[in-house]
Amino acid sequence: MKILSMIIFSVREAILRGTLIFYFAVGNLIILFVALAVNASPDGSSIVVLGNPIPAKSLMGVSPVDFILIQLQRSSASAIMFLGIFAIAGIIPSMLEKGTAELFLSKPLSRTTLFLSRAIGSTVAIGLNILYFAVAIWLIFGVKIGVWHWGFLLSALMVVVAFAFYYSVVALVSLVTRSQALAIMLGFLFWFLAGALESRQAGLYNLWSNDIYRRTLDVIYYVTPQVSGMLQNATRLIGMNPYDRMLGPQAVSDFSIMPFVFSLLSASAIYALASWYFSRQDY
Amino acid sequence: MSSENNISLSPSSICHYLTKYSFFGYLACRLMTIVETRALSKTFRSGLIRSSRVEALKAVDLSVTRGEIFGLLGPNGAGKTTFVKILLSIAYPTSGDAQVFGHKLGAIHIRKKSGYLPENHRYPPFLTGLQTLLLFGGLHGLKGPSLMQKARSLLERVGLKDWMNVKIKRYSKGMLQRLGMAQALLNNPELLFLDEPTDGVDPVGRKEIRDVLKDLRAQGATIFLNSHLLSEVELICDRVAILDKGQVLRVGTISDITAPQLEYEIQVVTPLPQRLVDSIGLVAKNVRAEGKLLHVAVPDTRALNQVIDLLRRDGIFIETLTAKRASLEDYFIQVLKSGEAT
Repeated sequence: MKILSMIIFSVREAILRGTLIFYFAVGNLIILFVALAVNASPDGSSIVVLGNPIPAKSLMGVSPVDFILIQLQRSSASAIMFLGIFAIAGIIPSMLEKGTAELFLSKPLSRTTLFLSRAIGSTVAIGLNILYFAVAIWLIFGVKIGVWHWGFLLSALMVVVAFAFYYSVVALVSLVTRSQALAIMLGFLFWFLAGALESRQAGLYNLWSNDIYRRTLDVIYYVTPQVSGMLQNATRLIGMNPYDRMLGPQAVSDFSIMPFVFSLLSASAIYALASWYFSRQDY
Repeated sequence: MSSENNISLSPSSICHYLTKYSFFGYLACRLMTIVETRALSKTFRSGLIRSSRVEALKAVDLSVTRGEIFGLLGPNGAGKTTFVKILLSIAYPTSGDAQVFGHKLGAIHIRKKSGYLPENHRYPPFLTGLQTLLLFGGLHGLKGPSLMQKARSLLERVGLKDWMNVKIKRYSKGMLQRLGMAQALLNNPELLFLDEPTDGVDPVGRKEIRDVLKDLRAQGATIFLNSHLLSEVELICDRVAILDKGQVLRVGTISDITAPQLEYEIQVVTPLPQRLVDSIGLVAKNVRAEGKLLHVAVPDTRALNQVIDLLRRDGIFIETLTAKRASLEDYFIQVLKSGEAT
């Protein structure tokens, strides 16, 4: 009950933030647009977008339905990764403000429970937004076109998990600095770093041929949450990711569980470190 | 400020006598002790390069007995809030030891049975008063209709019945303080920590808060009150400790502290001749004559009678004789000025 109270409170606090309300509003507009714009052709062989039939031939190597769903999934995932951090980077610092920290810390909950409930609540708030959008789109494609794309729903779940792992870094920074602004800045820095590390073979490796430098990049890649890798894999759950070829000839284009496994270990370690730190601080 | 001389029967004084006269009394007293600290110290460090140290608490020894209202007094920055925070594991001691309800610091059991109203508390502004109590009740493990009923009755008790569904951001400071009080009482605490509970509350509200505290004491709760409003403390506390710069300077019951210091004011009918004042100075101290008013400090009542004899022998008519009782404020200032622990 105590944990649930804290989670519900955190969800409530997060969804009332302007950023998430904005995301929710824009998401609804997109859902409405898709609902009105996408239809099946009369013979059911192709889809019609804004009255224009899209031929069944593949677009960038994928089917038209997959292509549209991939675009929607990538756009919504990128938007939520960006806006979500704005929305919830302040959740932990707000709990640690003078006058508020005392109220929460004087209750019969361990600090680890308190911190993790807060992090879970924040992630749930983001997750609800992602899933709301995904389920709505999934229903539209199912009802109007007859394509019940389970991979699309699974990819939304994967995005939620990727966000939870990404948030571990932001949560740790916000806990240590007690600053929303710093948490947002360092969160975005990590986001760009994660993207650069994911495609390091085509990018960062070429900056310096030194082997130690390359091994260092590899170590950083494996000890931090592989958010970019997870998002690419989330796209692969919908269909062949047409953007894989941009990562270079060595890029893996099949779905892989490894980014999830490494990210799970890494995020768990970061959450454990944050809990340990939190349990030793004076407020 | 004057008050009647009465025999103190506060839990702490009973405990004192039990400890003094029997071993079993000592054991009983140990069971009655709800908070006990031994050489509790806290040093804050700040800065990485030019590190500075602030000693917030210096070897504080204090005990609070079950059922009493204990006041911790001290100027700003004395360490009062730090002391309470350590007892509730919001901050950690640098050294020393403490037990609350017989449990070592950090035990969740302590926070389960305690209520806390922090100073300058801040509640989530997007919640209403009722939602706030439901949240904090939930964090105490309360749920369902019983929590709802408890929250509503507490809001009514603190005078926020008509405001329970209004967002907190519209509350005044006094209303927030009342809400804080209700929040601290959600779990029917056996030990209640209050940090400046009447801060920002109007006189009627203060009286209501005092009444709530007296009710709680009557129900057996122990109350630990941090305040610099000495008149408030004097009205409700059984015992007080004076803390300054992290050190306990004095501990005692209000009646002990403000007991007559054997200082008297004697109102006479005619002005006193200097010769007589000088002779009174041989048996009394701090003799001061201001017109028809004579101030004297005497070691005992025998000396007081000698002063009266001298006055009467000189044909002086005595109109009134008043024992001077120091107010808590007088005592507080005097102790802070001397700055010495006893």
